[in-house]
Amino acid sequence: MNSPGAKGFSFFLLVATVAGRGGEPASKATGDWERSLVSVEINRKQYDYFQPWTKRVQTVVKTGLLVGPREILTTADSLDGRTLVRVQKGGRGQWWNAEVKWADYPANLAVITSSEDRFWSGLKPVTLADPVKKDGDIQILRWRAGNLEVRKAEFNRFTVSRANMSDAVHVQLELNSEIDGVGWSEPAIIGNKVIGLVFGQSGNQLQVLPSPFVRSIIAARKKGRYPGLGYFDFTWQPAENPETLDYLGLEGERRGVVVIDVPAKPGTQPVLKPRDILLQVDGFDIDMQGDYVDPDYGHLLLENLSTRNKWAGDPVHVKIWREGRAQEVVYQLPKAENAARLVPEAPFDQEPEYVIAGGLVFQPLTKNFLRSWGQDWERRAPFRLAYFRNQDPSPERPAIVILSQVLPDIYNLGYQESRQLVLERVNGRKVNYLQDLQQALQKPVNGFHTLEFMKGDTLQRLVLDAATLEAATKRVLERYGIDKETVIASSTK
Amino acid sequence: MPKKLFCVFLVAVFAAKVQGAEPERSVVQIMTFSQQPDWDAPWRFDPVRRSSGSGFFIKGKRIMTNAHVVSWARQILVHHYQDPRPYLAHVKFVAHDCDLALLEVEDEGFFSGLEPLRFGDLPPVRSSVVTCGYPAGGEQISYTRGVVSRIELQNYAHSGNRAFLTVQTDAAINPGNSGGPVLQDDLVVGVAFQGMPGLENTGFFIPPPVIQHFLRDIEDGRYGGFPMAGIRVVPLQNPAYRRYLKLPDNDAGARVDSLLPIATTEKLIQPDDVLMRVGKYDVASDGTVLYEGNRVSASAAFQTAQRGESLPLRIWRQGKETEISLPMNVYEGDRSVGNQYDVLPRYFVYAGLVFTPLSLDYMKTLGQGWRDSANAELIYELYYRRNETPDSARLEPVVLASTLAHPVNANFKISHHALVDKINGVRINRLEDVVRAFESATNTHHVIEFVPNHAFETLNRAAAETAQAEILKTYSVPRDRRL
Repeated sequence: MNSPGAKGFSFFLLVATVAGRGGEPASKATGDWERSLVSVEINRKQYDYFQPWTKRVQTVVKTGLLVGPREILTTADSLDGRTLVRVQKGGRGQWWNAEVKWADYPANLAVITSSEDRFWSGLKPVTLADPVKKDGDIQILRWRAGNLEVRKAEFNRFTVSRANMSDAVHVQLELNSEIDGVGWSEPAIIGNKVIGLVFGQSGNQLQVLPSPFVRSIIAARKKGRYPGLGYFDFTWQPAENPETLDYLGLEGERRGVVVIDVPAKPGTQPVLKPRDILLQVDGFDIDMQGDYVDPDYGHLLLENLSTRNKWAGDPVHVKIWREGRAQEVVYQLPKAENAARLVPEAPFDQEPEYVIAGGLVFQPLTKNFLRSWGQDWERRAPFRLAYFRNQDPSPERPAIVILSQVLPDIYNLGYQESRQLVLERVNGRKVNYLQDLQQALQKPVNGFHTLEFMKGDTLQRLVLDAATLEAATKRVLERYGIDKETVIASSTK
Repeated sequence: MPKKLFCVFLVAVFAAKVQGAEPERSVVQIMTFSQQPDWDAPWRFDPVRRSSGSGFFIKGKRIMTNAHVVSWARQILVHHYQDPRPYLAHVKFVAHDCDLALLEVEDEGFFSGLEPLRFGDLPPVRSSVVTCGYPAGGEQISYTRGVVSRIELQNYAHSGNRAFLTVQTDAAINPGNSGGPVLQDDLVVGVAFQGMPGLENTGFFIPPPVIQHFLRDIEDGRYGGFPMAGIRVVPLQNPAYRRYLKLPDNDAGARVDSLLPIATTEKLIQPDDVLMRVGKYDVASDGTVLYEGNRVSASAAFQTAQRGESLPLRIWRQGKETEISLPMNVYEGDRSVGNQYDVLPRYFVYAGLVFTPLSLDYMKTLGQGWRDSANAELIYELYYRRNETPDSARLEPVVLASTLAHPVNANFKISHHALVDKINGVRINRLEDVVRAFESATNTHHVIEFVPNHAFETLNRAAAETAQAEILKTYSVPRDRRL
């Protein structure tokens, strides 16, 4: 999926170029859909992680669906950093002030409401299909230039993939369509039911949140029993090599997959161990590829069982083969939002964190920072920084602070070209978080700040004058037009 | 990760035999038939490749050329000026680090009537030079004139991970010029060797200090290579850092930031030492020395030493100057991240699984875009682990390069380009460990573990041993190992 900024831009561009062009003939049900689909305008702050103190204003227009009394369902994508949310019905006319009632970024779902009574008149809730049929005529709907655009789509497959904004893995619907510029919560429908919300597009391929997945979360939320999505934090490999199952002593029919890695959690004993064979998860047999047969979707990857009507903290009953016999263990789903990652997603709805000291800019290493290298960031970002994303946090390195760049000043003469260096210690104190850096800078040694970077083939060490640091920082902030020398979220550490 | 900035010019061109004037008569065309191994299937060789370069006659009845002109040679033919007869030649000395080689021609008649070219000094910037050789675009010997544009240390593309003094000129240096002399007043002031893609009117030649270093090195009958101090020097221009090190705020001295794992260097030098003088060269605060009128990296001063010699250094440590004598040795710890030549790749084939050491040459088998497409673990292991966590680094990381398909391994999901962690519980530190792990096994199954995440594959041991001979025969693998 494109970055929100790029998508927002292309959306407006498309509106400008195709205005007036009609879609396909409206279906019989169009009248009803016109009363259920609304436009959601989001004005938001978009941050540049290369210059974390700068923010651009972005306006995104998405589709919303009336799903209940004063409740509009949309995807959570691009809601972070919002400054003003408005809604419009009928594809034209007045925009009404609105607010986000609930947003769950890991699930990519949000509910929007408005206190404007007149907005709600004439609107009609939609029905979310459960289960999703594969054989109906699928259509994609959206408001375009004041008209309801209806475009055909074809069923491609169900997949199990990682969510856009978290480590949660869940079922997704893949459609093919000639429509372009979608991915902004447009509903996919069959007849008079919504089968999903389009949240991404790659060429003719659309990624859709299937309605049963959406329904299950909305229902749990309404009951007050939605703690967020969970995920499986262990790693497994297929067992298609029969010798592997023989080696592990599995008796009977060849089946299951093999656990190969289980993250260590301080103070707890993991219930799964490397070389366990996963035979069943919540009663579903697991085959040698790692699939189970879902009653609604058919063959799906076992990861879907972490989000199939299960939430963070829920027990999952797992049947394993260990030490020559089948055993049952109860695995508790960790919360996807809190996934222990060395390179995490930056917190939502929060300014990027940074510390500027004497022109040296320090930032936590986050996926958002790496994404600054563009859509192809996994290849274009500095290899050494991007490589950290594959590593687990450890007690020695729970998080990473980098010297991301130096804003040239007489104070930092000689260091101007230092960048993308992993900070290890400041004044002899280990630095994992920006707070550590701040504290360390309070304790200069003999009038100097000594900064040490990760061992490797890049710069290892630099020294700053402690007495003039504050003045230099002020001078840099003024010269570069930066408001704040520090932004640190209280919840980071 | 180092990126290759230069391309080596070496293409096939045909030379006509024409009459010319001295000293061009001593310039020869070298035709090389070469064949390099396939690091993906290390018992195999690529097709024979025909290429041509240039060379020139020097004293001692030898021909100087570039190492890259004669690498992996199966046959070398030298075409003497104005003589239709090809003469067989062989490599007497080759220096892959600085891309130089000396050839000998067995037929004494080849040198009859030839005057060896003599070497001059490092030509000054802005002075004129003439390149001679047999570049593409024609068949006759070609001369081009230009000026010396600049002199500095540049990466030598042939080795890929060494930088030496280099002269840049605007005299055209094209494919086929490689190994030809660059002349000034009839003296050789360089050996043409590489260009840079995208830069027009720019060629590079190897200057006399590098050539003379090579010639002195081989005086003992073998080439040892350029020694390395293993010191990473960085500029020391921040006033606070200078004050921290109790140094005057002037332009003298550059800081030692880190060291390579070279025992003699680690014993004598430490981080935060300030390098004030190397040999006869004062080191400036930007890490350069004034070398024969040219401001170049201090590495040039270290490169004046021969292998086994000691280099006098003046360093500033803890507020005072100290003189030390630093033994200079050849560093081979980074051999795997450079291009390797003339040594056939090591491998071991077991049950169709092809194991070979991880190296730049192996990575290049993944194709031109391997830096983008390769498994990140391989790149990290090759380029970073040794520097970052030397204690966890393996002496010679081994990869499962490919799998020769057979029912015994047909169900492997991990079949190629995978870094091997353990086999049968034995940590694989080098290729010999792979052999030992398989050959000493007694369990019913072999277990091969990979990096990362402890992914593993298993082989039925009895079936594997039965299949071994058949697989080698089916795939025409002459021997199961080259260690």
